[in-house]
Amino acid sequence: MGRKPYTSLELAQAYIPYQYYTDSYTPKEALRKGTLFPELYRPYLPGKGRR
Amino acid sequence: MDRERYRRLEEIQAIGFVLIELNLYLDTHPDDERALREFNTYGQQLRRLVTQYEAQYGPLLSSGYSPSQFPWKWVNEPWPWDMQ
Repeated sequence: MGRKPYTSLELAQAYIPYQYYTDSYTPKEALRKGTLFPELYRPYLPGKGRR
Repeated sequence: MDRERYRRLEEIQAIGFVLIELNLYLDTHPDDERALREFNTYGQQLRRLVTQYEAQYGPLLSSGYSPSQFPWKWVNEPWPWDMQ
């Protein structure tokens, strides 16, 4: 062996897609859901992996 | 705590939360005019709600924001465990 692994691959890169503000929850709904923005709503459902 | 008081407190908390969300959003999107307008509008609304609430029920924050009537009001406000 002796070959360095992954030389042809890039190191990990983190990225964050830019958020565009379109819709928002009502204040009460936002407080309950933990975010004002529907695109950031991530309900936790036990036993259900996301996608 | 009566229902109406609780409702108004919840409204204040909800508007306060929206302001935090818009604050964080504006940190990364300082040129979003619509978000800024909403931030300012909600800010005015919060001040109005807090003023009305405090006039009727007593101080929400103890130091620096709400002058107290005599006798000292703060300690007689409902504690978190008094909420239903």
